Amino acid sequence: MFALLKRDLYLALYSSSSFFYTSSFFVLVLVILPFLFGTNDVQLQVLFKGIIWIGLSLSILLTMERIFNADYEDGNLDIILQQNPSIEVIIISKYITHWVVYCLPLFIVLPILSFLFYVSLDSFFLIFLNLFFGSLGMVFIVTFVSALTLGAKRTIFLKAIIVIPLFVPFLIFGTNLESWPILLALSMMSFVLSMYVSAYGLRLYVE
Amino acid sequence: MNLKLTNKQISIIEKANPFLIVSTIVAFTFGLYFSLLQSPPDYIQGDSMRIMYIHVPSAWFALMAYTILAGSSVLWFITRNPIFSIIARSIAQIGMIFTLISLVTGSIWGKPTWGVWWVWDARLTSMLLLFFLYLAYIFLWQSITNKDLASKISAALAIVGFVNIPIIKFSVDWWNTLHQPATISKLSAPSIDISMMVPLFIMTFATFLFLITVFFIRLRIEILDNKIVRMREVK
Amino acid sequence: MNELKIEDLTCYRGENLVLKDLNTKIKSGETLVIRGSNGSGKTTLLRVLSNFIKSYNGKILFNDQNVLEDSNYRYFFNFVGQKNSLKDNLSVKNNLKLWEIIYQKNISYSKLLEDFNLLHLMERDVASLSDGQKKCISLLRLNFTESKIWYLDEPFVFLDDENSQTLIQKIKNFNTNNGIVIITSNINLQNIFTNEIKI
Repeated sequence: MFALLKRDLYLALYSSSSFFYTSSFFVLVLVILPFLFGTNDVQLQVLFKGIIWIGLSLSILLTMERIFNADYEDGNLDIILQQNPSIEVIIISKYITHWVVYCLPLFIVLPILSFLFYVSLDSFFLIFLNLFFGSLGMVFIVTFVSALTLGAKRTIFLKAIIVIPLFVPFLIFGTNLESWPILLALSMMSFVLSMYVSAYGLRLYVE
Repeated sequence: MNLKLTNKQISIIEKANPFLIVSTIVAFTFGLYFSLLQSPPDYIQGDSMRIMYIHVPSAWFALMAYTILAGSSVLWFITRNPIFSIIARSIAQIGMIFTLISLVTGSIWGKPTWGVWWVWDARLTSMLLLFFLYLAYIFLWQSITNKDLASKISAALAIVGFVNIPIIKFSVDWWNTLHQPATISKLSAPSIDISMMVPLFIMTFATFLFLITVFFIRLRIEILDNKIVRMREVK
Repeated sequence: MNELKIEDLTCYRGENLVLKDLNTKIKSGETLVIRGSNGSGKTTLLRVLSNFIKSYNGKILFNDQNVLEDSNYRYFFNFVGQKNSLKDNLSVKNNLKLWEIIYQKNISYSKLLEDFNLLHLMERDVASLSDGQKKCISLLRLNFTESKIWYLDEPFVFLDDENSQTLIQKIKNFNTNNGIVIITSNINLQNIFTNEIKI
């Protein structure tokens, strides 16, 4: 498992998806806010809570082809499956990589961003918790959709149409500050669902 | 292996079709007569409320179609009989159209009632998301060229979508209570007069017949399509 | 002494019969060429042999043990398919590094690349290479495992004469070290490898 994890992290590093790129993306998505809506600090606080979820969704969604599709198309998935006895281990390793590469940078720049948008310390912690539990569930969802759409003609739009309705519950509860337990519950449900469906999809396509 | 069976199914469908079409037309004639002429206008909303006789049945059947879609996908997983995959595909398109009808009629109804074409009401929003669940299912099916694989994959997506419907519904309801502006009164009419119940009942029945008719037509097309694909593959 | 046996292998893909009643046997030090026209199920056969496809009738035995039940079987073979398993946007060196991690084996890249005279490509992006060069590099994967069987799907496609000779030499060396090789091909290789079946 650790070999696959290490390989995927190296792959991300080599393919210029390193920490700086992803965190710059998050910063820029939020920096456009004042340009669009002015500098009224109360309004910015409200918008910040919402737009940060759009940034997170985009970061997870736009890169979902890297979870399984890229490896499937160039044949590396065969090697990965041959070298790893259990398909579940592969899936878990993919969750970790995708989260570390495309979500973790957000949490590192989050303190600076909340500072820029006048977020109080109390709400910062709640936003952090929400984003943390929400991002886990969203990664579980894109992973199984990625496994299901391996053979589909390569369109990110199709995947977005499948994924966004499934993201809606996360976004609804994510913007409410006290609802991290619900997000945790949603993530746990998505985990169970995702393990089954991803394994099912992978098994079908490697045949 | 199922070629013989499908021939039998097609002949049943073809025999039932004219009968279904006639009864649909008859039912709609009665239904429209009662709902447009024989029933009283609503004492607040006036005649605009009559769109309910289309809106409510199509919303019900939009939800029912997804249940059938998920149900036949589950049955397909258990029995691996291709007929369930065909049923799922046929009902998906119909369900999507019914969702669209209920959205459009809801919006038309909303204009005189709320003064705007769209409100972010919990039910309308859930229906909109249901529409995209249908769309995702149909697009996924179309985008996988290996149809054998496509039916396996889209069956899984149908079940995932079905598991998600209550979650989406729950979260949208919760969101709606949070953001509901106080000025907009809810759509729900607590008591429907008997004079409106009768036309609604007939229209629901007529819509159901319509659904079955279209479903059988689609089913026939899909079975034939499946047959063509298989014959081509065998060649 | 190793032995791979295929008994009454029949395989369906969807509703089409792809492989029918295939029987063959191959021992250590031998190379078997599977010949067939396009779409005759050669790739399917290799994917069955390498346990990717698990639903088939008949038996595949390695040293008299059914490969579906043998959890060690996956360490015994190496499969090089028609997809070259290379990341287009990365350099050759980085690609080799990724393989090194997956296969958990350290290898000297320069020695590896010298085999096919590719040393000068080390820092180049894979996207800028020709199909033949990509194929050569994808064949280098054979050096990353200590396997007993090689499954090569159309290995000679895109290779020029010189590199084909190198590959043939590699296969023969592997044979002398008791390796089993199964090659698929749609052209005649009988003047090089005599052992051939047609499907």
